[in-house]
Amino acid sequence: MDAVIEVNNIKKRYKKRKTKDIIHAVNNISFTVKRGEILGLLGPNGAGKTTTIKMICGLLTPDEGSIIINGMNITDHRLKALHHISAVLEGNRNLYWRLTVKENLEYFAGNRGVSRKKAASLINDLLEKFKLKDKENELVNRLSRGMQQKLAIAISMLAESDVILLDEPTLGLDVETGYEVREILKSIVQDYNRTIIISSHDMDVIQDICERTVIINQGTIVTDDKIENLLKLFEIRSYTITLGNAISTKQKELLTQKFSHHIYTSDSYVTTLEIDLARSEHIYDLFNILKLEATPVESIDRKTIDFEQVFMKIIKGERSNAIAQPS
Amino acid sequence: MQLLNLLNANIRKNYIEMKRYLPNTIALLLTFYIIFLAMFAGIQIIGDPNTQDMNIQYVIVNYIFWYLAMIVVNDIGWQISNEASQGTFEQLSMSPMGVWRIMTARLIASTFVNILIIIGLLLLSMATTGQWLNLDVITLFPILILTLISMFGLGLIIAGLTVVFKQIQAFLQILQFILAALVFVPLSVAPFLAFFPIVKGVDLVRSVMIDEITLNQIGTGDFMILIVNAVVYFIVGLGFFNFCERVAMNKGLLAHY
Ligand SMILES: Nc1ncnc2c1ncn2[C@@H]1O[C@H](COP(=O)(O)OP(=O)(O)O)[C@@H](O)[C@H]1O
Ligand SMILES: [Mg+2]
Repeated sequence: MDAVIEVNNIKKRYKKRKTKDIIHAVNNISFTVKRGEILGLLGPNGAGKTTTIKMICGLLTPDEGSIIINGMNITDHRLKALHHISAVLEGNRNLYWRLTVKENLEYFAGNRGVSRKKAASLINDLLEKFKLKDKENELVNRLSRGMQQKLAIAISMLAESDVILLDEPTLGLDVETGYEVREILKSIVQDYNRTIIISSHDMDVIQDICERTVIINQGTIVTDDKIENLLKLFEIRSYTITLGNAISTKQKELLTQKFSHHIYTSDSYVTTLEIDLARSEHIYDLFNILKLEATPVESIDRKTIDFEQVFMKIIKGERSNAIAQPS
Repeated sequence: MQLLNLLNANIRKNYIEMKRYLPNTIALLLTFYIIFLAMFAGIQIIGDPNTQDMNIQYVIVNYIFWYLAMIVVNDIGWQISNEASQGTFEQLSMSPMGVWRIMTARLIASTFVNILIIIGLLLLSMATTGQWLNLDVITLFPILILTLISMFGLGLIIAGLTVVFKQIQAFLQILQFILAALVFVPLSVAPFLAFFPIVKGVDLVRSVMIDEITLNQIGTGDFMILIVNAVVYFIVGLGFFNFCERVAMNKGLLAHY
């Protein structure tokens, strides 16, 4: 298998400094990422995204489980494995604010053992690509938040590593810069064929950039699937049905028995039934109930549902029977 | 080669920061120069005319080593403490070179830059006052290198402590005085101090500069102590630093939370 990143049953506990409470920040998470794949790690605040990413990039040792990068166990062969990884962590302070844009790039290259001469052309390319060329001699503390973030991403590209991890890359950016950063990330995927994990609590970002998402909540994986499939999954099973006339009490009773999630509205103009099906074949049960009184069906619409709603439903544990298995 | 690039990058950073904060740097250099001048001037003004040269030279040697120790040992603590709270320390920790190499490179870089400055100022002060110290480079060089290596070991220990404990500002303040004590207390007063870092080296440097002892007059025993100190402190420092890094990776201490 050409899995570049293999995460096997990792766990991480923290001890709270004051109360000494144990927090299970990451509790038995497993997934794999294939070469050239771009995975979205999605979850609300405190879900364990940062903790997971820091374990993958070797900044945190898992309490249990293992992480394999290109066949190397990151705990056992940390420095070797680090040749294949670079990361942009949350926040904009992971740069030297007293150095210029270019000096930051040169310094970080130097700390990976690369000479200034050798890095020069790559640095120049990155400055152009990230539209930072005209700021190359600007001190980092004078840059906007968005430019700092672009620089941080550029620095992670310096290593030319197979794997790039990005923790909340659009956090704290205004809409426009957030969009620009997204475009940059997309072009990295297209032009450089890197294996990428992006974490975010913003489903919009993930849906825009990633093909597949692992959704985590309270330290465990809730879903691991293609975004497309997740959307389909919920789409297929939510219908809005317009009826020719109101339904009988008997029908109502049967509906309530069969379908826990339905909304029935009827007035003098229109009668509609919104229904969520736990399994797609349940639609036949619905038809049987309607058939009882020969209720006319005027239209059947598949409700469109966006990723945000999917995400909220999954997080709330709604329809846990509908949770997809890794494909 | 990679190691040279690493060292080069850190020397450059050091140099850039000195240049960028020129007023600071000038103030530092000026203070240093004035203190040197005052000490040299002391040769003419105070003390017994027969021994004043010695006393002053003694103080100058102590002062230089104290300053170096502060730069090397104390500063690495401040750097890590700052960088951990900002997040750059995590970036460094992801370098496949290993943080310990980066930290060692930084220790060497700041020593290198500061020794150049010290030598410059020392020569300038000697030229200004016309008082020339005995600078037997061939004898001083190996002593200095070995002493610095043990100092780096101490620096790595402080670095390790800072990685785990972060808020060690108070400790760093106290450390200044411990370093001063190590440098200023003569070995004849407390012979056991020879096995502490720095002390033996400073003692030998004083013998060279003041009693004009040359390389072949220094006993093998003295050199052995220096070598053993250098090796042991550096290895212990490295081991301790790497241990602290592992603790930090286990407990999530590489950045502020
Ligand atoms: N260094 C730490 N010490 C103690 N608790 C932590 C630490 N880092 C994170 N946590 C806790 O672990 C949980 C997961 O945090 P995190 O991985 O940062 O979540 P996310 O990035 O998804 O917001 C949270 O409850 C957080 O408070
Ligand atoms: Mg986070």
